[in-house]
Amino acid sequence: MGAVTIRDVRKNYGSVAVIHGVSIDIADGEFVILVGPSGCGKSTLLRMIAGLEAISGGEIDIGGRVVNNLHPKERDIAMVFQSYALYPHMTVEQNMGFSLKLGKVSKEETRKRVTAAAQILGLEPYLQRYPRNLSGGQRQRVAMGRAIVRDPQVFLFDEPLSNLDAKLRVQMRSEIKALHQRLKTTTVYVTHDQIEAMTMADKIVVMHDGIVEQIGTPLELYDRPENMFVAGFIGSPAMNFLPGRIDQGAFVADDGTRIPLNPLPPAAEGARVTLGIRPEHFRLDPEGIAAKVVTIEPTGSETQVSAQLAGQDIVGVFRERLSTAPGADLRVSLDLNAVHLFDAATGKRLVA
Amino acid sequence: MVRQSTGLLFVLPALVVLAMLIAYPVFYTGLLSVTDQQGAFVGTNNFAAVLGARATPQAFWNTLWWVGGSIVFQVILGVATAVLLNQNFPGRGIVRSVTLIPWVIPGIVAATTWAWMFHTEFGIINYMMTAPGLIEAPIGWLSNRDTVLPVMIAINVWKLFPFVAIMVLAGLQSIPNDLYEAARVDGANFWHEVWHIMLPQVRPVIVAVTLLLVIWGLNSITIIYAITRGGPANLTLITPIQIFRLAFESFQFNQAAALSVIFFAVTIVVVFIYIRYLASSPAEAK
Repeated sequence: MGAVTIRDVRKNYGSVAVIHGVSIDIADGEFVILVGPSGCGKSTLLRMIAGLEAISGGEIDIGGRVVNNLHPKERDIAMVFQSYALYPHMTVEQNMGFSLKLGKVSKEETRKRVTAAAQILGLEPYLQRYPRNLSGGQRQRVAMGRAIVRDPQVFLFDEPLSNLDAKLRVQMRSEIKALHQRLKTTTVYVTHDQIEAMTMADKIVVMHDGIVEQIGTPLELYDRPENMFVAGFIGSPAMNFLPGRIDQGAFVADDGTRIPLNPLPPAAEGARVTLGIRPEHFRLDPEGIAAKVVTIEPTGSETQVSAQLAGQDIVGVFRERLSTAPGADLRVSLDLNAVHLFDAATGKRLVA
Repeated sequence: MVRQSTGLLFVLPALVVLAMLIAYPVFYTGLLSVTDQQGAFVGTNNFAAVLGARATPQAFWNTLWWVGGSIVFQVILGVATAVLLNQNFPGRGIVRSVTLIPWVIPGIVAATTWAWMFHTEFGIINYMMTAPGLIEAPIGWLSNRDTVLPVMIAINVWKLFPFVAIMVLAGLQSIPNDLYEAARVDGANFWHEVWHIMLPQVRPVIVAVTLLLVIWGLNSITIIYAITRGGPANLTLITPIQIFRLAFESFQFNQAAALSVIFFAVTIVVVFIYIRYLASSPAEAK
């Protein structure tokens, strides 16, 4: 029903290409998150799916129908905007029922569907209020309610949580996820926040400079990033990178620090590589490599340490409470099963 | 209460200026309206005289037509122009500037030019209509009893609709683009956008502009006085012109003052009703 297929889609503004051929398959009922840094083209792609931006090349298919030349209203989609875009002169009820009114749905039917959506979102007490009399979280819910009453094939979310405070954002995150589990409507969601992406998505699409870097489940992206961009973007604090080369089955950092590898690297002897290791994959080890502590940030449940290791700035996260001080030496080893190797020239993952 | 009197001292200069410029003329008009030319108190005699004059009720109805007709078309044409100028098209900047021209031209120049254009024998309008055979004989636009007031209204609409357009355009441009996009996703076509997004969003602007137009319409003398001076046969005589002519052509300052007082009262009532019922209606969002 509501599958979305994006085939080699391109976007140019004049002679400037901003999206260079993106292909994504989204199954019916899937929750897909487009994530990437500012300017990567994720919002543009979403607006092309919505029909708010023209498609310069390629095809977008919604529910088995190519929609390239259809108006937004003919695409059977609903969109939640970053600013919520609620109509200020309409009550919550009118806001939610507006699309049905335009669609010439009968008054009773509209009332029934608006009430049902309001029930799901806990908006019943606010139906007669105007948007300016609502809090940020309530406005956010009205924006979602407006999408729900449509019962569209696809929900589109454009950074819907970025105007909320941190606590409310966490709460709305789980509410949106619960809503999706209840309605099972195909959802495409854009965010620049990789934590939102990791926690909510069935499938994450990492975009960068107008191309797709990798598509996969959150844990696939975390465990097996295909390149250094994805490795550095997913996960917080970000993955540490150490430049060096392969020498007799071991990694030798530029300052000569030798890290034995297990299993053996697929790269040729002497090849330039970058070793990636996540902060949580360092272990305290009296036999390990020396790292000079720069700062220590205890959060209670864990301790985050910035240090100099093998001539590079690294960040490590430890479950233990450390009794060390800035300037001191900390001996650590790397969890060798969690080490990633990337080709230094192309940034691509070297598969073991 | 020393503190209060000190405060009063501070606002005194402004109060004095206001008093001299506004309160004194108003008060003096009131005084003139109940005295004769020698300054003797005559009670309501002046009021009786102006209300008894045959021209007064006619001027009153003419004023009503003049203001009502002008405003309806000024607002409709102005809003339509604003919506049009808010669209994207090549040369929009130039068209926007050109639209302002009627409003920028001095009233007396515009009135005189239009008077020539409407001239029965030599006017370009009759020429343009007779040459292709639209009408058989030239129309006496400014002497025909059915056309003269509508022509005045048309000129007034032409003169002021750009003002409405520019004000409404400013309002339209402050509408966030998101609202249009949300409406488009919700299934709106262009007319839905106009009706459900643009008009409700610029309503405060339209209300304020209309109030200004009412006041200007009630006060306007230039166009009519320059073209017909209220004639022919008082067909375009509106109350402000009647007052003007009473005072400065007949030198009946006391009767003119009485008519001014009546006009002032009616105007205040109109403006009050307008503000009460239109300007402050629903408790909706900005």
